[in-house]
Amino acid sequence: MSSNTTPLKRSRDDSAASTNPWSRSDSSGRGSGKRATRTAKKETKGSKQKTLGMAWGANSLSSSRSSFRSSPFSDFGSYMAEKNRKLQEQFHAEASTSSHSDSSSLQAIFHGVSIFVDGFTVPSSQELRGYMLKYGGRFENYFSRHHVTHIICSNLPDSKIKNLRSFSGGLPVVKPKWIVDSVAANKLLSWLPYQLDQLADNQPKLSSFFATKDGLLSKDVLTDMVCQLHDIGDSSLKARTLRGINSSEVGQSTEYRSPLCEELGQENADVSVITKSINCTRECPGSCKTELIDMDKEEMRIFREELKDSLSEPSTSAGNHPSDRTRTRSLPTPEVTKHPNKGHSTAEDPNFVENYFKSSRVHFIGTWRHRYRKRFPSSLNQVKCASFDLKASDDSKKACVIHVDMDCFFVSVVIRNLPELHDKPVAICHSDNPKGTAEISSANYPARDYGIRAGMFVRDAKARCPHLVIFPYNFEAYTEVADHFYSILHKHCTTVQAVSCDEAFLDVKDSDVQDPQLLASTIRRQVFETTGCTASAGIAGNMLMARLATKTAKPNGQCYIPLEKVDEYLCKLPINALPGIGHVLEDKLKKRNIWTCGQLRMVSKESLQKDFGAKTGEMLWSYSRGVDNRMVGTIQESKSIGAEVNWGVRFKDAQDSKLFLVNLCKEVHLRLQGCGVHGRKFTLKIKKRRKDAEEPAKYMGCGDCENFSHTITVPVATDDVDVIQRIAMQLFGSFHIDVKEIRGVGLQVSCLESVDASKQGLERNLLKSWLASTSANRDEQCDPNSVMKETIDIGLEGQNVDGASSNLFPHLARNSNQVDDSSSDCKASLDRSVTRPALCHLDIGVIKSLPPEVFSELNDAYGGQLVAFVSKGKDKSSSVGDGEVSGSSPSLHSQQVVNGARDGMEVYFSGTNHVDRFQQDKQTEKPLLQETDLFCVPKPSSSNMGASVPSLTKTDLMPLSLSQVDCSVLQELPEELRDGILQQLPVHRGQDVSLIAHFSGNAGICQDNSNTESPDKSSGSVQRETELWIGYPPCWVDRFQVSNCLILSSLAETYQRSGAPGKLSSVLQRFISKIPSHMELTTHGWNEATSSLSDLLKQYIKLKIEWDIEEVYICFRYIRRLAVKSKLFLQVQNTIFPYLQASVGENYGGNLNISLE
Amino acid sequence: MDRREHQSPQGETARILVEFLEVAITSVVYLKGLYPSGAFERRRYLNLVVHRAQHPQLRNYIHLSISGLQPFIEKGLIERVAVVFFDTEDVPLERFIFKLSVNQSCGSMVEDADLEFSLRSFLMKLSVSQTLTSTLSQDCRWEIVAYFRTLPQANMGNTAALWISTDTKQWQLPPLITPIKSMSSEPLNVQLYLEHPSSFKTMNSKVQPL
Repeated sequence: MSSNTTPLKRSRDDSAASTNPWSRSDSSGRGSGKRATRTAKKETKGSKQKTLGMAWGANSLSSSRSSFRSSPFSDFGSYMAEKNRKLQEQFHAEASTSSHSDSSSLQAIFHGVSIFVDGFTVPSSQELRGYMLKYGGRFENYFSRHHVTHIICSNLPDSKIKNLRSFSGGLPVVKPKWIVDSVAANKLLSWLPYQLDQLADNQPKLSSFFATKDGLLSKDVLTDMVCQLHDIGDSSLKARTLRGINSSEVGQSTEYRSPLCEELGQENADVSVITKSINCTRECPGSCKTELIDMDKEEMRIFREELKDSLSEPSTSAGNHPSDRTRTRSLPTPEVTKHPNKGHSTAEDPNFVENYFKSSRVHFIGTWRHRYRKRFPSSLNQVKCASFDLKASDDSKKACVIHVDMDCFFVSVVIRNLPELHDKPVAICHSDNPKGTAEISSANYPARDYGIRAGMFVRDAKARCPHLVIFPYNFEAYTEVADHFYSILHKHCTTVQAVSCDEAFLDVKDSDVQDPQLLASTIRRQVFETTGCTASAGIAGNMLMARLATKTAKPNGQCYIPLEKVDEYLCKLPINALPGIGHVLEDKLKKRNIWTCGQLRMVSKESLQKDFGAKTGEMLWSYSRGVDNRMVGTIQESKSIGAEVNWGVRFKDAQDSKLFLVNLCKEVHLRLQGCGVHGRKFTLKIKKRRKDAEEPAKYMGCGDCENFSHTITVPVATDDVDVIQRIAMQLFGSFHIDVKEIRGVGLQVSCLESVDASKQGLERNLLKSWLASTSANRDEQCDPNSVMKETIDIGLEGQNVDGASSNLFPHLARNSNQVDDSSSDCKASLDRSVTRPALCHLDIGVIKSLPPEVFSELNDAYGGQLVAFVSKGKDKSSSVGDGEVSGSSPSLHSQQVVNGARDGMEVYFSGTNHVDRFQQDKQTEKPLLQETDLFCVPKPSSSNMGASVPSLTKTDLMPLSLSQVDCSVLQELPEELRDGILQQLPVHRGQDVSLIAHFSGNAGICQDNSNTESPDKSSGSVQRETELWIGYPPCWVDRFQVSNCLILSSLAETYQRSGAPGKLSSVLQRFISKIPSHMELTTHGWNEATSSLSDLLKQYIKLKIEWDIEEVYICFRYIRRLAVKSKLFLQVQNTIFPYLQASVGENYGGNLNISLE
Repeated sequence: MDRREHQSPQGETARILVEFLEVAITSVVYLKGLYPSGAFERRRYLNLVVHRAQHPQLRNYIHLSISGLQPFIEKGLIERVAVVFFDTEDVPLERFIFKLSVNQSCGSMVEDADLEFSLRSFLMKLSVSQTLTSTLSQDCRWEIVAYFRTLPQANMGNTAALWISTDTKQWQLPPLITPIKSMSSEPLNVQLYLEHPSSFKTMNSKVQPL
């Protein structure tokens, strides 16, 4: 739909349109008002839109073209367009005349309504057309989902019913009576009650969710719009908190909402605020909190999409404007009460989960506890202390417990400011649709007299008491009253155990109050004075009796059961009055002819335990005697946290369910965060409709379901929303259930650990705790990178402590695991090492083994002294530090191997080389690091991965003579390594060239290189033969780079571009694509270039032939390819081919299977 | 074989190498298609699908030959292990040469994960190398030949006695070598290449995939 693509524009249109007087007029329903704005906008670009006929015509060009060839129209589509245009013109002409004639008497009640009449209707379509003419509506002769807002018909064929959406395009299908009645009422009625009966019964269909009439409400379109926008903003805020950037105080977003709501008068301003923030302007209009504007791009995008969704909704569902349950919260209550907009199923509402929980009483009660805990933390501590004391001084004082319970809390709070309703039957329910199947959640005492009970369907309640007044929840008021209630309780008593938002136990045993009855009445009076709601109280020796006493006391009374009267009281008490006795237990007991507690007492404890199990039996036995040993104030930590939705769950497809799960996970995440816990065990519960189950009696209820659940336990407790989502998806996937059958989904998290504890655990792992002392306190995000940095700091500092460098390596190695993708810039992080150890305290072994990035960081921090320090230390350690260095080598290697792996399997000789290299490569390596998966940090011997090119550039650091070398160490070295060192150390070092050797196949076991030497027979020659490949980068690169031969310099460039000192084959491969075919040389540079290249290759062959014939082979084949392109390479190829074959023959006794054609 | 028996890195390396060679040689035999494919069963090695001979004689021949080499490999005495395919006149047609070297002086233990990586790449390359090889007639035969650097001494134990000098005919001309894979993973270097008689010209490097 084209309108989907321009949601932002639409929102502005709407805001502009809202200034039109008609859209505010009382007579226009909300739905239609919105539609009006839509159509108003449509008209502006109506010409661009296709009608249905046109679309059809356009699609069937081939069939229609022939018949229209002679006509002035190029095809059927344009004919239809023309016809539609004409019809419209006629209609407008007629409309203007008819409305001119009696414009004073007739209102344009159908303004914005555009109907399409389908099939036979009473009154006829022509009459309907007449009405539309008269009352400012529009009449479409041909269906177009862009123009038409309502489809009028009396009857639909079954095929259309079944495939309603494709037929109606989501537009409402309404009976003609709607038009007639609207005309009669002289205002636009809500079409909802006039919806086609055939559709109305079809429960999962969209339109039926809005069967509650709200058309009469004089709600401004903009009000809704703004509210919606709030919600969107809200949810995006929430989404952000989910991401853990902020603490997840939901209250914050609520608070953010309210100022906006107050400004509903200035809709335009608000809307523009939001659109502005969409446009990422940096302004901060006063009404909008900065959060909205500070949203980063990512959030912006999400926000936009959400906005888009919600804005496009009206057009797709054509006037079924997404009724947001949140509205009930954000709008002033009196209006809300008349606004029984129920939510909808998961099928329609992208924010279903959120809204579901916002309007869930169970959720309110569940989350209330956490709120309470936050609000009265001190009291809870006191409770603990108090109850502790209590045990000590148990017998000294007479126990006395007061149980205070508000009277029908949910009702009385709502009607507390409506005294005229106090003696009327009132109930609380989501919906007051008299036919509805919503359940009464609470009813006041007058209502109870009619037999209305909680859990009853509204329609049943209405049947019993037609004048029952039904209110929706008002959670804000509940919160407020509950807060007052508890403040009063805490004022009078230190030991308060909250049971629920409206119910608490007080332990007055050791309070100063002499008469608990007096205290109870004081509390009750104060509660009433403050909140306007009544409370009842029960006073007794223990919690059980106090609670029972309250039951007796209700409503609005208090009851004292002294110890001596307990027996008497219990004797005639029916058993089901005891807490813990539900229907099942009650039935069982009644079967034994036990009806009262007195009868229950006759049964022996053993018998009870035998029949009902040890625990239940014990409970029955003691409760029937009024014994209750629970202490007031014992707080039960919740063992699991979760969220479950089993109302309104209808998924169309997997996408729906996915979205739903994501939202459910967000909710769970919020709850986890709210309670400050992480969980390890995740259980996904699914309610699946039973095969033979009918649609449930309760509207959108879950009905008769099978329950399934799967559980996953993760090793590390988490509350991360992404992780939870991933787990949930995984769990969900394991069910293999048709999503259409799902009626309820619940995600529960157990094995909870408090965040503090798990944080500690984490810190232990990350060594972050170490840093707490040394590093500045930073509780913002610690990216892996900084962890790494910190570890280094630790390394250095820990060093000071014990100097046992080898101990530190495990940490380094472990932490390097975490560095896998870090993107933050490294600069800042070093500032964290508040106390930098003095240079002399540093251990060379540690420094050397640091990853290059870190090293360069440190070097910066020490102002470059580190390099010098290390090179100095090198000499020292050559004589002394052998043992130590080799001792620490495992992890030292692993670090180097990490580098090596990153750099294309090259491993460097010793720490000193890093110094040079780090500086050169600092830039290139950083990005590379991100890609390197350090998880597979190999141990030393793993260092190979292919050819490695050990190199030494800092010859200055080498011992000056052989006498400085420890021969025993040398002997321990691997053969190639030894050779390398030997070449490094010619008998006397006089040459200025860096004397370095390469060894193919040397895995670069990176021992300390400085401590070696012994006379060597062939080192001189080998060295000369491979000198081009010495160094890093190999010295040919430098030579070629400065060469004025284009091929050579570009080859060198390719080598450097390849980023890592890798194999020649990969360089050549890259080079093939780069070599310019026209690039030919003048004879003058020719010879030089060929000889250089030949030398290079020969030396490479020399280097590789023994253990990497594959590489040699591949290189040569690349040369052959290059030879096709370049004569230069052809010559090179011809030059080196004999050499290659000779080398192969020498080493393998054969010829390479390659020929020059 | 129990890992605990081999405390020295060479022993450990040799063990892995022997295991690998057994798989690789079976793969070569499978690759050549001398036996019907039903004679092999699919197995998993290094997380790769490989084939193992089902016939006990074939399996035992490969297994015993290679495991018999282990002590020598451990001591670094084996230079090459070849799988040689002969025609009916016992003239070698094609030789798959495993050139081995176990670094005797390397003190570090071999790292499984890394070695595994290298060996796996070996087997993968081998499995796609059929085009490099020559087509053999069905009536050819094959054998495993090990090239010692020095002849095993008697004190190497009775396993040495099980090895007999080969009377394999040699090619007159130096063979043509087609490298298949090289790897070096300290302390182990392995190369696999093909040797064909120099008259072998059917294979052209042009068709070889890079």
